[in-house]
Amino acid sequence: MDKLASLLHTTPAIAWMVAKLVIVFGGVFSLAALWTWVERRGSAMIQDRIGPNRAALFGKIKIIGLAQPLADGIKFFFKEDLVPHDANKALFWLAPFLALVPALMGFAVIPFGRSFMSGGQEYHMALLDPGNGMGLLYPLAIGGMAVYGVLVAAWSSNNKWSILGGMRASAAMVSYEIGMSLAVVTIFMTAGGYDPSEVINAQGHLPWAWNVVRQPLGFIVFFTCMFAETNRLPFDFAEGESEIVAGFNTEYGSMKFSLLALAEYCHLMTASALMATLYFGGWQVPFVQNPAVMLSVLSFLVKMLFFAWVFVWIRWTLPRFRYDQLMHLGWKVMLPLSMANLVFHAWRMSQGH
Amino acid sequence: MGVLVKKVELSWLDRTYVWPVMKGMGITFQHFLKQLFTPTAKRFTIQYPDMKKEMPSGYRGLHELKRFEDGAIKCVACFMCQEACPARCISIEAEEFSDLNITQGFEEKRPAKFSIDMLRCIYCGMCEEACPKDAIWLRKDYEVAAYDRLSMQFGKWDLMNTYTEADGKESISQDPTPSVPRRTIAL
Ligand code: SF4
Ligand code: SF4
Repeated sequence: MDKLASLLHTTPAIAWMVAKLVIVFGGVFSLAALWTWVERRGSAMIQDRIGPNRAALFGKIKIIGLAQPLADGIKFFFKEDLVPHDANKALFWLAPFLALVPALMGFAVIPFGRSFMSGGQEYHMALLDPGNGMGLLYPLAIGGMAVYGVLVAAWSSNNKWSILGGMRASAAMVSYEIGMSLAVVTIFMTAGGYDPSEVINAQGHLPWAWNVVRQPLGFIVFFTCMFAETNRLPFDFAEGESEIVAGFNTEYGSMKFSLLALAEYCHLMTASALMATLYFGGWQVPFVQNPAVMLSVLSFLVKMLFFAWVFVWIRWTLPRFRYDQLMHLGWKVMLPLSMANLVFHAWRMSQGH
Repeated sequence: MGVLVKKVELSWLDRTYVWPVMKGMGITFQHFLKQLFTPTAKRFTIQYPDMKKEMPSGYRGLHELKRFEDGAIKCVACFMCQEACPARCISIEAEEFSDLNITQGFEEKRPAKFSIDMLRCIYCGMCEEACPKDAIWLRKDYEVAAYDRLSMQFGKWDLMNTYTEADGKESISQDPTPSVPRRTIAL
């Protein structure tokens, strides 16, 4: 790292920051693109179909259809970029970015590997170094902003169906955020801090000390709320072909639509990373005290991708909820459950455990 | 009429919703694994240009005008198929031909031109039904498409050669001179 930095006439800190930026945002972005393919292939397999397997590089190299996201991207680039006549043009343009940026930003604080020392300097595997004072409150706050992407997209396109979808989605997101936050607060409480590194260190390397074992109820609540947060099935109220045409993105086409779709997948990645960090020990490798840096990154990646796969898996398993069922579940089940979880752990802590 | 709604009594475990979800996920994952480890040839989906569906017997595909072993056309230009065709897409022009050694002066009939407009054909199989000589068959080829309308007008030689490749026969473009009597004619 030092040598590289001196080659580029920068300090190691800056070089590391740039490298991290490229790795994290590039990585999440390409994973999200890849996940569109995983979703399509996975759903196909689940339904005994085959899925997109024919896209080939240069018409020849067919790697089980992995070129599909690329082909989709190229297609989206060359589509006509329509803006509805009565749409609010500025917001219509802004909405995809409003959706995408929070989805990506949430990742900034999550450590994706163990910090290491090199040349007398400590390097952290997270965009924002630990002890920045925001900790895991930051992805929660940013996650709350994700609702603007959906709502602005819906409202600016000046379409009744879109606005219906956007309003449903934002109502769902807002009401599930409470249950989710309470579940996370329980973790902060038991970990004694809200910095991700503290949360991870508090969980340790033994799988039975991870939060998923210690707070299974909290995990279920958080997990469920994540589905509502990322607007995915069974809680995908922003969209709904059968009732509101396509939902909040009815009027979107070409690259703007693809950005909205990518935002959903980036959100999914961030949510999976959050889940791995909060409940599955982040970069901790099971039964290994001080894992090698690469091993810890690998461990984190495996956990994150597993949860990303679970998102896909659940989507193709469960039927959708009705709107009133969703609200019922959110307010009357999830919220009390996470409160019970909070009170239970507070009581346990008061007993000195 | 009232509809009987069967009330399902959910057990305690089912009402938590977590367990049924996991059961469902188990089922979908089974399907996923099964499909993942099934070789492509055995999957339900037929990857069309690479793999083709074996059509059931009785399928009515592209026509073939049958021929005798020596390559002579079986059709005797009786116009039955043309009459029977509901789409009116067959047009035949008959001709007489004689081979005095065999037919003893009798003239035989065969189509000089036999064309089917495949764009109008509805693949109903009436021609096959009507034919007294079993000379026209609808077989299993379903890939009847072309880049222009003219190539969808199948002539006599096109129709006689539609399945040569599949059957491993020679394609012909000329009526052979009959060398053996095809049937003895009692005078
Ligand atoms: S299949 Fe039917 S429509 Fe086609 S040529 Fe024969 S009789 Fe006519
Ligand atoms: S019915 Fe048979 S024999 Fe008669 S003209 Fe048609 S194909 Fe030829």
